[in-house]
Amino acid sequence: MFENVQFSSLSDFFAMGGYAFNVWSVYLLFVVFFAINLAVPVIRKKQILREQKRRLVLAQESRVRRETGNDTVL
Amino acid sequence: MWLWFSKLGSPKWFYELSGKWLPWLIAVMSLLLIIGIVWALLFVPPDYQQGNTIRIMYIHVPFASISLAFFPLMAVAGTITLVWRMKLADMVAKTAAPLGAWFTALALISGSIWGSDIWGTWWIWDGRLTSMLLQFFLLIGVISLRSALEDTEAASKACAVLSIVGCINVFVIKFSVDWWNTLHQPAGSFSLADDAPNPPEVWVPLVVMILAIYCFFAVSLILATRNEILVRERRAQWVEDLACNS
Repeated sequence: MFENVQFSSLSDFFAMGGYAFNVWSVYLLFVVFFAINLAVPVIRKKQILREQKRRLVLAQESRVRRETGNDTVL
Repeated sequence: MWLWFSKLGSPKWFYELSGKWLPWLIAVMSLLLIIGIVWALLFVPPDYQQGNTIRIMYIHVPFASISLAFFPLMAVAGTITLVWRMKLADMVAKTAAPLGAWFTALALISGSIWGSDIWGTWWIWDGRLTSMLLQFFLLIGVISLRSALEDTEAASKACAVLSIVGCINVFVIKFSVDWWNTLHQPAGSFSLADDAPNPPEVWVPLVVMILAIYCFFAVSLILATRNEILVRERRAQWVEDLACNS
């Protein structure tokens, strides 16, 4: 399997036969896009649920205040 | 059949089902990506004309091919929204547009970097490139149309119509290489013969990468749609429970 590797050394691999800029910039672009595209929705989900929870807690507090006529926050 | 259809339209049902599928889809995507990228970077023989720039193909072609799926997808989702007013279909249509713009942009940029060496130019007003750029602007148009209209129902209807009309451009992109034979090469052929212009050691890893990027597309779309569900269904009991337990 390893005899089919097209590069004889690591520096040969990074050089990409003189096309280092073209090949590596495309792969870098892909990796950056890939990572961002998966990370952003995951972060966004946490944010949505956090905001949601805060809204529910606030609603709960104001309901308790209204019912008891008490201004002290629980 | 109709029970299944209305169930699929339920955001809660989709949220739960997609939650079960996601880990598997991510596992398959990761496996295909690792195999595909290692194969493309290390084992594919350099092209006799293009040398090592052939390795750009394994990113460019999958992104370009999946980019063509966005308008048909949005058109189908839009039709379902228009005819059956299914909430979920509109959520998919909404999340697909920005994702499509990113995928199209990546196809254009990677193609440009590839072309800068082998064609000697970053850009040319070739049929394929121009129609692909038009798709990018159409997607930006769909996104701005949705954000410009305040009435969400009117916005989703307008976007649905624009998505259906935008499908015409997909045919133009597809056949552009046959109609205007300028610079972009036509689609290659897949053959198992050893003396074929595209031998298996070149196209098999391409198929692996195409499948990997299709999985990536599915994962991205599902993740974004799930967030859209959480936002739009925030008054529903199950979303409130989910938020409380998070």
